[in-house]
Amino acid sequence: MSGSKRQLQKERTRKKIIETAYQIYSQQGFAATTAAIAKQSGVSHGTIFVHFPSVNELLAYLIQDFGNTLALELRGLSGCDNVKELLKAYISVLIRHEDFYIRLVSERSLLPEDVQMIYANIQSTVAFHFNKVVEREMVNQTVKKIPVHMVFNTWMGLLHYYLLNKDFFSPETSVLKRYGSDLVEVFWELIRK
Amino acid sequence: MKKTCISCGMPMNEISDFPGGDTSKDYCIHCARPDGSMQSFEERKAGMIRFIIKTQGFDDKAAWKLAENNMKRLPAWKKYFE
Repeated sequence: MSGSKRQLQKERTRKKIIETAYQIYSQQGFAATTAAIAKQSGVSHGTIFVHFPSVNELLAYLIQDFGNTLALELRGLSGCDNVKELLKAYISVLIRHEDFYIRLVSERSLLPEDVQMIYANIQSTVAFHFNKVVEREMVNQTVKKIPVHMVFNTWMGLLHYYLLNKDFFSPETSVLKRYGSDLVEVFWELIRK
Repeated sequence: MKKTCISCGMPMNEISDFPGGDTSKDYCIHCARPDGSMQSFEERKAGMIRFIIKTQGFDDKAAWKLAENNMKRLPAWKKYFE
């Protein structure tokens, strides 16, 4: 096998491991074993560690990758003057990652501390974009004057309540597809002037 | 023109993201002092802590830990943690 073919094969294997790990963690939670990931990826157990020397590195990669996707999409909208548009965009990204995000929120404290910090940084990035838009709406007098951290935390509380109780709200289908628009509309009614 | 701020990690895609619109800079407008120079380690850390508390309402110590953890991953500051 030539060098470039070998490299291509290596990249394919890495991609397969990443995709499988993402699926397995989403379905089974972060306690899922690397042996299960290897089996479903069709690679040997050792191959996983060629690409990710430790489980922490695999987890860190997946969570950071999710955070980058979220940051990129929100960034494009933080220039807008509209909280609703920002939240709709946020929901649309989370819909694509709903099961993974629920695991992240519900099992966060079980993750290694450095991986938890990646999660915390993702939330800080969301708060950054949220803050930019909310402050602009406050200046425009379209949103009530409430401390911005309370506006953000109220939104996150509402969102996470639905996600963490998905089995009650929407056991068969995506809870955000079912209730995402309602959450945005109701939250907007609560904060608008 | 696309860069990532070496001081806070923010993507810099627009001219308005650069201090004074100077795209040769490797740090963003949020990490610059009023004169356009880059903030020091302590200034940036204090700024990050203030921002975390303001936007998320975290406890001071938790915000400090989060700011430090973020900074040690960034090219401008990782040497401070080695």
